[in-house]
Amino acid sequence: MSRFGNLLMSAILCGCTYTLVAIGYCLFFGVLDVVVFCCGDIAIFGAFSITGAFTIIWSAGVFQAVPMIVAVLILLVVASILCAVLGLITYRISVKPFEKSSALMPLLSTIALGVVIKEVLGLIFQPVVNNIAKGVVRVDDPKTVVGGRNPQSMPQLIATGGSTLTRNLIIIIVVALILMALFFFLNKTKLGLSMQAISQNKELALMTGVNVKSCIRWTFIIGGVLLAIGGFLLGNYQTIIRFDGGTMYGTKGFAAAVVGGLKSTWGAVIGGMLLGFVEVFTAGLIPGGTKFQNVIAFIVVIIFIVFKPEGIIGEKVAEKV
Amino acid sequence: MKKRILAIGLTLCMIAGMVLTGCGGSSGGSSGGGDGKVVKLGFLSPITGANAAEGAAARNAFKLAIDQANESGDFDYTIEVIEIDDKSDPSTGVAGAQKIVSDPDVVAATGHWNSGVAEATIPVFKEAEIPMLIWGAIASDLTSEENYPWITRSAPTDVQENVPLAKAVLDDMGYEKVFIISDTTSYGQGNSKAFKAELADRGLKEVGFEEVQEGTVDFRAILTKVKSSGADCVYWGGVVTEGSLLKQQMFEEGVDALFCGISGNYSEDFLKIPAEAAEGALVVKPGIVLESTEGGKKFIEDYEAAGFSEPIGAYTPYAYTAAEILLQALKECGDDVTPEAMRDAIKDGKFDGIMGTTTFDKIGQTELVAAYLNVVQDGKWTVYDDSEYADGTRKFPGK
Repeated sequence: MSRFGNLLMSAILCGCTYTLVAIGYCLFFGVLDVVVFCCGDIAIFGAFSITGAFTIIWSAGVFQAVPMIVAVLILLVVASILCAVLGLITYRISVKPFEKSSALMPLLSTIALGVVIKEVLGLIFQPVVNNIAKGVVRVDDPKTVVGGRNPQSMPQLIATGGSTLTRNLIIIIVVALILMALFFFLNKTKLGLSMQAISQNKELALMTGVNVKSCIRWTFIIGGVLLAIGGFLLGNYQTIIRFDGGTMYGTKGFAAAVVGGLKSTWGAVIGGMLLGFVEVFTAGLIPGGTKFQNVIAFIVVIIFIVFKPEGIIGEKVAEKV
Repeated sequence: MKKRILAIGLTLCMIAGMVLTGCGGSSGGSSGGGDGKVVKLGFLSPITGANAAEGAAARNAFKLAIDQANESGDFDYTIEVIEIDDKSDPSTGVAGAQKIVSDPDVVAATGHWNSGVAEATIPVFKEAEIPMLIWGAIASDLTSEENYPWITRSAPTDVQENVPLAKAVLDDMGYEKVFIISDTTSYGQGNSKAFKAELADRGLKEVGFEEVQEGTVDFRAILTKVKSSGADCVYWGGVVTEGSLLKQQMFEEGVDALFCGISGNYSEDFLKIPAEAAEGALVVKPGIVLESTEGGKKFIEDYEAAGFSEPIGAYTPYAYTAAEILLQALKECGDDVTPEAMRDAIKDGKFDGIMGTTTFDKIGQTELVAAYLNVVQDGKWTVYDDSEYADGTRKFPGK
């Protein structure tokens, strides 16, 4: 591939990773009007779940016995369930108690929860995986697991043995499929439409018979699953995941969501891609530009906040007096 | 009026309290040699955060040495360690340093894997007049005339490490087109500066130079620059966290160039990337081959017997050496252990340890500089001289 082609591919992939986290922010902000700041950490938790589950089912010999695609699906299901549960926990302990207080409270409490997720992951990942492998599956000599604070090598499950180009294309296609599925879900299913109704006007939705409580719970479940898949793709692209990687993805994803308009999934895609393109092309085309890539990326974000605070795709809301 | 009496009463109580506890402290001290006497040493490293793997292993080694000393019965007092997690963060490091110097029983400290954190805490130790021996931070300006004699260092500086690497890569292997990538920390900048100087000494100039933020995970954009520059060697001036990802992406993008760097990359964490991607990474490591000496072998055995969860990293033996130096300095001080006595014992001493004999030069920098090359072969760090690269069976890329 030409130099430009290489850069384009990197930019799209970088954009994809930000987009998935940004969509998490958008979903939660859409129904609750609060920023759930631990999205990045939930995604990393998803990636760790995949690594842990892989170690366990590999040690148990299940992984080798079934076709690759089935094994990957098992891993994704496990990680999705764990992330959905984590999503619900997030809602229960750091969003719901502050329903009636200012929007700053859940913001703070989810930042705090993000730190908790990160640090707990670092502390308990190794003992938990080891004990499950030894105690539940009864493997005497499981695949070695290093401490959660060390970088974890992500099992390469997409296009194993194939070229990195194939892997990258699969990642882009999967992200596109997720976006389409999400679009279909939000616009064609009853639950999706209810979520949009809540997003537009919570009181009115409540009055017209939308079950707001269950709807919010479902949002966190769906958000969790989405972030789990995000973590899976991210891990496969970067090949190594770190327990504290969520902070960076969280910040970048949030920036992408804000640029896109916070309530719109397409805005999140555009925001994520914009951030990815700015970063990659700054680093790739300007000599010595790498050290400025974050600076320039966030300057672009600030420019958007100043001149288009409602986001690229976002309706202007006139404050009623 | 009543309130005033109450206030005066409370103040008197507090003063009495202070005097009493003060007396208690000094009587404990004067009894000397009693079971209760304690001497404290501070130890600072990143136990959590981005460099937790190196920092925690170093903490383990340091405590291992202190535990061994306490068990040996060579000291009339118990040595305690105040262990501080600096999280690789300067402000956290300063808070930790303040905690150490505010403890009256502390006589010396040893700290830091990150040069940036060491830079921040040095003024604290100098002001409090507590000698600090740096065990792992290698930016060359940490030891200086201004910081001497309170600040000394038992690890070789980055400049000291780049000399043998440059000699091997540029002189022995004959690479000429070097692309330098480093991070923006003082460690990274120190390294890139040192390696540029080595190139300049040989009449060469780097074909490209990029700096990345700490925590960068995507180097693909830079690698397009590396490719178009025609470089045959990539010098990475940072640490393993980003270095392993850089090497992995060089492999994925098909960059035909040697990857080399200094000891911050020598870690088991580097091998988290697939073996074929890590293959051929060349890293210089200060010190000696531990397995080649009796002391080194014993250290590995003891460390493994203690059952720590973190494996031995590049700087783990240095933390152990720092402990050995402090322990021998404590012995030299005899019964009169004060920060001043420790300062003099450290700067003028000659210390035998697992790495060899350490002495300090006139700015407190160790004169013990030994380094050897390591290469990743089949997913394992292998001493270069024993590898298939040295005997010509395998060839480095870019040649």
